[in-house]
Amino acid sequence: MLPVGRVNGPAPAIIAAHIAAFFELDAVVLPPFALPEKTLDPKRRQHDAGRLIHFFENSLPARCRKLIAVLDVDMFVPIFTHVFGEARLGGRVAVVSLFRLSAGAGDPRDAQGIIFERAAKIALHELGHLFNLEHCDHPGCMMQFAGGLTDLDRLELNLCRYCRMFLREALFFPI
Amino acid sequence: MSTRMNIMIVDDEAVVRESLVFWFQKGGHRVKAAASGSQALERLRRRPFDIMFVDIKMSGMNGIALLEKVKTDYPDTSVVIITAYGSIESAVKAMKIGAADYLLKPFKPDQLTLVMEKIVQQKKRFQEYDYLKDRLEKISRFDNIIGRSDEMLSVFDMIVDVAGSDATVLLTGETGTGKELVAKAIHAKSARSRFPFIAVNCGAVPETLMESELFGHQKGAFSGAIHTRKGFLEVVSGGTLFLDEIGEISAKMQVDLLRVLEDGQMTRIGSSQPVEVDFRLISATRQHLEQRIANGMFRRDFFYRINVITIDIPPLRRRKTDIPLLVEHFLKKFSHETTKQVDRISREALNQLTAYHWPGNVRELKNAIERAVVLSKSRTLDVEDFAFLQTPIAKDAADRSLTAVERRHLQRILKESNWNVTRAAAVLGINRVTLHKKIKRYNLKREHHR
Repeated sequence: MLPVGRVNGPAPAIIAAHIAAFFELDAVVLPPFALPEKTLDPKRRQHDAGRLIHFFENSLPARCRKLIAVLDVDMFVPIFTHVFGEARLGGRVAVVSLFRLSAGAGDPRDAQGIIFERAAKIALHELGHLFNLEHCDHPGCMMQFAGGLTDLDRLELNLCRYCRMFLREALFFPI
Repeated sequence: MSTRMNIMIVDDEAVVRESLVFWFQKGGHRVKAAASGSQALERLRRRPFDIMFVDIKMSGMNGIALLEKVKTDYPDTSVVIITAYGSIESAVKAMKIGAADYLLKPFKPDQLTLVMEKIVQQKKRFQEYDYLKDRLEKISRFDNIIGRSDEMLSVFDMIVDVAGSDATVLLTGETGTGKELVAKAIHAKSARSRFPFIAVNCGAVPETLMESELFGHQKGAFSGAIHTRKGFLEVVSGGTLFLDEIGEISAKMQVDLLRVLEDGQMTRIGSSQPVEVDFRLISATRQHLEQRIANGMFRRDFFYRINVITIDIPPLRRRKTDIPLLVEHFLKKFSHETTKQVDRISREALNQLTAYHWPGNVRELKNAIERAVVLSKSRTLDVEDFAFLQTPIAKDAADRSLTAVERRHLQRILKESNWNVTRAAAVLGINRVTLHKKIKRYNLKREHHR
């Protein structure tokens, strides 16, 4: 887990804990990293997720199998208005943005829990892509595509049996 | 519902192509990209795509022109227009031409998902419609006999007429015309349809075995007869016996069969016990049996017995209007059976097949399509794929005239140059004006695919 820019607080650690729990992988939180300004699109005033991924791929520590960069800025890919997270199938780096996760989180006293749960779901979903899991149609499965926060909140923190099987194959029989 | 789709992204911006390709790959779809309209068409010529996402603003062929071309030549491919410069006018125009949807970049992630869901559901409905239509066609066809020509409609009428009775039928026609299919159709529509249909090719069974095959034998009736065996005349009991190449059977066999047909009884070889038989006889021949009767090689009394009704099945060259139907049927069959995605035929190739004289009739046509599909390098069968067809020995002199040769050569070069006149003129070694004059003189037109 790589906290980037203004990200502080427990979010990266919470995501790491979820990774350890669901993927049974060692997950560590690396020291904070500066936000690369060249990934900012001044017209859109958002950061290009593709360029962020490319940037962090070059910064990946050798001992890390995968990297999840956690940011607190708005992200986009050219075709979409925004993205919560982004990863390439079978890639090494995913990016997760906390920027839009507080919307509709309700009472600010309870909001933190909801935001962290949303962040964990997005991170686990993108990590699934890094292990070659595709989008899934099984209701509630974490690999189901969630276009908005309502869909995201409906996802369970769980993989369906097929995605679990594919993940096990990817973890223990990597290509 | 999730269905793996073949998707093509057409956009001159590399970042947009890349974005969409990554997105759809995560959805498990097979994705290709093209940077221009012409590149997209080149890809489409090689293999089919279920959905295309097409940008409107591209240099060269723009998205609307590409949409028009795709909807004309590849109507099964859905096209979604994506653009950063939307207008009501362009949206209406695109939808009128046949776009499946129209999206403004950048769009919300769930918009794209909804569009895909909509198209997948639409395709599923079309597939169900095609399946049901195919089933209905099968019901209205006579057991895979394809034809809508007047000649075949007459044959279908006769099948219905004769099926209701037990009268013997003689099917006449050249090799490969489908005589066995007609025999099966008669059986299928008869009261005997629940009982066996047995086909015997009298030309393929040696004369020495024919008697045993038809009548059966008792154990020990001859050397090698270690078991009692029922012949086809017993096994077919209640059903239909189809004797193909009836003109090939021996005189002795004609006598024996005549007796069976008249008495309703037969005796196995080596037995003295008559056995009741009950079957309907359909025979077939490509020979002129009257000629064989005149030569003393076929019994007249047997001929009358097997020929209460004659159905003549026309050769393919007498029902040329059925050729496109047959081609479509075989193309579908073989592109389904092979791993090749060959599902179209050019108008030129279809014209060539229609003009050919088909000495081997439907069987030869079927083999030609199968061979062309297996060896084809693109998804569309063209004239070159049928170069193996023998040309008729007696050719029309006009086909080999200098004019005809020049016309064919010009057509080929223009096609290879994708009707780029400048390029074609360079290949031909003539100037553009001369080429334009020749195009006009020969009334050459860019062919459209089917």
